[in-house]
Amino acid sequence: MSGHSTWPEWVYVGVVIALLCYVGAEAWNIERIVEHVPEDAEIIKVTGQQWLWTFEHEDGTKEIGELHVEKGKAYKFEITSKDVIHSFNIHDYVVLLDAVPGKINTVWFSPTEAGEFDIQCREYCGLIHYNMRGTLIVEDNGA
Amino acid sequence: MKLIIGLGVILGLIAVLPAAEQVFAAGSEVGEYLDRKAAIWGLFYRLMIIAFTVGTVVSGLIVWLVLRFRESNPKAKPTSYEASGSW
Repeated sequence: MSGHSTWPEWVYVGVVIALLCYVGAEAWNIERIVEHVPEDAEIIKVTGQQWLWTFEHEDGTKEIGELHVEKGKAYKFEITSKDVIHSFNIHDYVVLLDAVPGKINTVWFSPTEAGEFDIQCREYCGLIHYNMRGTLIVEDNGA
Repeated sequence: MKLIIGLGVILGLIAVLPAAEQVFAAGSEVGEYLDRKAAIWGLFYRLMIIAFTVGTVVSGLIVWLVLRFRESNPKAKPTSYEASGSW
């Protein structure tokens, strides 16, 4: 071993370990909070197929290409696909999850503002993938 | 060495504890829902601050090392190996 002082190196190692701990803990914590589905969330079944989205509400109401929800309520999406892998994305609400044939993936969100927002497939799924869009319509019924 | 390891543990705990506090408080409110957009983008911004800070420090250190220990630096001294001419 050389005779030089190694304490700056150990401080550097300590700071790196501390930062890694912070990054890991923060990411784990936020993921845990985000994945905690509220008990009163309304379930919406989302089905992707080439090249459109269909939605089914708890009361049996079905929609194609458009999804009507209410501001301030919580919704849990049960996402699947009829053919190939798609990916359900509502960009403005940071909702993004794959739609996989034979599998149901879940994600939840609660719209905070009324308006129209884009729904888009984010997994290349064939010729018309670019146009596999929908519209999320958030209605402000509580005002 | 023990002091250094102890310091590392303390630094790690200081970083983890605030996050651990939030974990047990999560999801307890009724009727109030998480704004996932704020949570996810907030996490992104915090991690980016760390990433760019670390990137700046590391790249700054590399630039300083290259300039300070270049052969043409007037302050440069030969290593003991170079001075004696034997390895």
